[in-house]
Amino acid sequence: MEAGLLVQMLLGALLGLSVYLPLRCGQLSLATPGFFAIGGTVAALLSTRVPALAGSGSTYPIASVLLEMVLAALLTGVLALVLGRMVLRLRGIYLAIATIALVEILRVVTLNLEFTGGAVGIFGIPQPFQSAEGYGAFTLVLLALVCWMCDRLEKTRPGRAMAAIRDDELAAASQGINTADTKLLAFVLSALVAGITGVVAAHFLNSWNAKLGNFDASITTLAFVVLGGSRTWLGPVFGGLLLTALPELLRPVGDLRLIVFGAVILVGPLIFPQGLITLERLQALWRRRPPWLALPSNRGRR
Amino acid sequence: MDHLLQLLLNGLAVGAVYALFALGYTLVFSVLGVINFAHGALFTLGAYFTYLLIGGAVGANGLIAGLQLPFALPFWLALLLAGVGAAAVALVVERIAFRPLRARGSDPLLALITSLGAGVILVNLIQLLVGAESYSIPVGTLGSLPVALSIAGAKVRTVQLLLLAIAGVLLLALTIWIDGSRSGKALQAVSEDPVTAQLLGINSGRMIQIAFGISGFLAGMAGGLVGLSVSIAGPYFGIGYGLKGLGVLVLGGLGSVPGAVLGGLIIGLAEACVPADFSGYKDAVAFGFLFLVLLIRPQGLLGRPLAEKV
Amino acid sequence: MGLQLRSFTLQALATAGGLSLLLPLGGCQPSRPSGAGKPSLTLGAVIALTGNASLIGQDQRLGLELAQQEYGGRQPALNLRLEDGGSDEQTATLALRRLLQEPVVALIGPSLSQQAFAVDPIADRAGVPVLAPSNTAIGIPEIGPFVSRVSAPVSKVAPLSIQAARRLNPKLQRVAVFFAQDDAYSTSETKIFQQSIRSLGLNLVTVQRTSTADIDFQKPIADSLKNKPDLIVISALPNDGGNLVRQIREMGYKGLIVVGNGMNSPNIYAVCQRYCDGLLIAQAYSPETDTPINQRFVALFKQATGSASPPQFTAQAFTAYQVIHQALEQLQRQQANGQPLASMSLAELRRQLNSSMLTGTYATPLGKLKFTPQGEVIQQEFYVAQVAMDTTGKTGRFKLLSNPAPDLR
Repeated sequence: MEAGLLVQMLLGALLGLSVYLPLRCGQLSLATPGFFAIGGTVAALLSTRVPALAGSGSTYPIASVLLEMVLAALLTGVLALVLGRMVLRLRGIYLAIATIALVEILRVVTLNLEFTGGAVGIFGIPQPFQSAEGYGAFTLVLLALVCWMCDRLEKTRPGRAMAAIRDDELAAASQGINTADTKLLAFVLSALVAGITGVVAAHFLNSWNAKLGNFDASITTLAFVVLGGSRTWLGPVFGGLLLTALPELLRPVGDLRLIVFGAVILVGPLIFPQGLITLERLQALWRRRPPWLALPSNRGRR
Repeated sequence: MDHLLQLLLNGLAVGAVYALFALGYTLVFSVLGVINFAHGALFTLGAYFTYLLIGGAVGANGLIAGLQLPFALPFWLALLLAGVGAAAVALVVERIAFRPLRARGSDPLLALITSLGAGVILVNLIQLLVGAESYSIPVGTLGSLPVALSIAGAKVRTVQLLLLAIAGVLLLALTIWIDGSRSGKALQAVSEDPVTAQLLGINSGRMIQIAFGISGFLAGMAGGLVGLSVSIAGPYFGIGYGLKGLGVLVLGGLGSVPGAVLGGLIIGLAEACVPADFSGYKDAVAFGFLFLVLLIRPQGLLGRPLAEKV
Repeated sequence: MGLQLRSFTLQALATAGGLSLLLPLGGCQPSRPSGAGKPSLTLGAVIALTGNASLIGQDQRLGLELAQQEYGGRQPALNLRLEDGGSDEQTATLALRRLLQEPVVALIGPSLSQQAFAVDPIADRAGVPVLAPSNTAIGIPEIGPFVSRVSAPVSKVAPLSIQAARRLNPKLQRVAVFFAQDDAYSTSETKIFQQSIRSLGLNLVTVQRTSTADIDFQKPIADSLKNKPDLIVISALPNDGGNLVRQIREMGYKGLIVVGNGMNSPNIYAVCQRYCDGLLIAQAYSPETDTPINQRFVALFKQATGSASPPQFTAQAFTAYQVIHQALEQLQRQQANGQPLASMSLAELRRQLNSSMLTGTYATPLGKLKFTPQGEVIQQEFYVAQVAMDTTGKTGRFKLLSNPAPDLR
């Protein structure tokens, strides 16, 4: 497979995780593209306007990329803290629309501001890697880290609190779970993931503009989670990888490409209402594992 | 005061289309509790149907390049039939993208994605068939009516007034139907509580089809009207309205018919009030307004407060 | 949840497993020319066949196909590989990277300037010449040595139409400007328009920002007509711009309207219909150009579509293909002992093609073209046309005004 496609698939998986995090506690937030756009803008501005970051070599230093990621995470985190307090009182589709409204406001403001380059955006973003393979490795490490974080989260107290809120918010509150803080935690984590993903994407795409965080992106990333499955972090990762790759894999069908793509999005949830990756399916897979995959001892439940 | 009147007229004309759009969403939402993302595509489809039915020819780029119907209907009839055509497609969308999920009692979230898929298919099918170029309903379609009228010093395009009038009639008819007829009351009963409605002998499957049919009809008519007022700007032309309509829907309160109308008019007027120097922020104003309203009134202007358990 | 399988490593393994299932689906076996196969070369093109910009892409597709028909069979034989670049950066990136896996000698595209800023650096780093048929934003040839364009930059074309408007109505003073703020081309163009309005000493009374997705413009029109402009200048794309023109006229504006190059397409006739009449437009291409190559191109176009006025995007795409083919021909002639170009190493062929392309002079439907060493196009002819609609109001033509081309050499 072409390495550039792999990078975009990995970025898709990261965005899927960003949508998945609030959904784990039952919050349908579609703000991910907004934070993604902010992360990308931070990277684009810093790497093109701050000469000190450029280093001395021919490639842009990875340390500078990491610094951009930290700054993007800080900015998106703080923004998510403030906005989360405001919007997380909303429920269901109202929350979804409020977050779409935020994304749309951000897009329009970006278009109107001079320093973000308007519709043309910011171009000539320096490259930390010479090849797509470099980006692939970097993004893979990032994805592994975020997956690991999600996995830890699912097994620890805040993670279980999130699951409890998703199942029944009132019951969760009556068990002494601080529902507001838990939801806010998920929202902030989601924003951080989207923000740092934006940093990588901005370098990978060479240029950045307001269109990269729009309504379409909100819905597409939601499809990653729904089609992949929203009960374990593996679902959005798988959905993100698959749905980013699909339009490319469909290139041989030519002009019918997006029609087939639409059909897959339409039929997928009908066949797999729980998403492709469910705990049951994972268990079944595990039961039929080849012998060499056996663990020395069953660690059992935590 | 001609400026104020001008503002009001502009706002109303735009708002009426938003309202029509949001009504389609709200009808489906009230019976199913989900948003139909294929609605924008139905709107687009209605516009193309209208264009074909008044005798318009297809351009050179699609699969059916050069096609032209052997007859040309008068505009009002074409518009009605386009509404019916869009309603038929809406029923197909319901059958394929919604009913299987409902039968299984699946998570409503899934319907967002299946209907999105249906919308992607429709939009790209349109492009495949008729190409991406824009089509226009001929300027002379409205016969001898003047293109613009002056009302107390304010200028308004006649077609906008017509659009406003037709939208008003449709909205009124819908309200009367919902409040005054048996089937309308049945629809309300289903949206209040599907299980009880079923117990009362209301066929909720049938009511859902009716809701989809009317919603598609409204979308088709709105598409044809906007197509007449401006032009059919390619297969993606419903998308912008789709997003705005969603905002209007939530602003008014999900599932509320008067809310959809009120929301449409408010956003139309709010956009009209954006000072000329800040015209670039127009789209943000609508959504900023929506955002603020949601913070103050989480269920929208006329929506019922949501129950704690969803 | 009595689930034993919550181990991170296992889930990661499962993902890797799933990924490896996808790998064969990628199905990319670069079709390398097999040793002694036919010496035919491949030209790649990334254009917008889906999404908002597909209106541009479908015009370009036709231009490329006509050029393939005209030049593809001549020596050196050239195959066209067309990929849908969508209307966004991600799709364009993937399409371009896909083509880079093939032995393409050069690339044509992408459709939008925003996409060019994303994908051209990739091709440039790979040493593959990219010739843009429609990117007019400032800074495109500067992306790298392998990036060039046949689409004249907006700074050259735009001011001509304002000057023409001034000649038609020497008394004009008050100018209202509209532009589509979410379109990169229109935002660049409006800057040039506004500069030239000011430099002519005209009074810029209002600037209205619209969006390419807008269809109702009553509000910005009412706002601008309050300022009593005697010239309106629009930078937009055919759909939204055509609507804007129609609504401006319907709202009773009688003065001159100048529209930008984004609207230089017969597609506008369907939108503004009889209200298109009288629009002033500066063009990088005119169907009425009286040269053999343009007559040939118009004839090909007429054969394919039945219409005799090709859009500018079609002409530019045709030109891009033609330029690359003629540069290859030139390169072929320079080969000692007539070695076929296909026997040259691909990297070397691409490098030589790029320098051959930038040094040649070409007679194209756009007029005589050559390039600066940087890859910027030097076009000899620009046109200012005025739209003349026929009596049915359904179709019309761009009627040339007297040639205003300034000295560009």
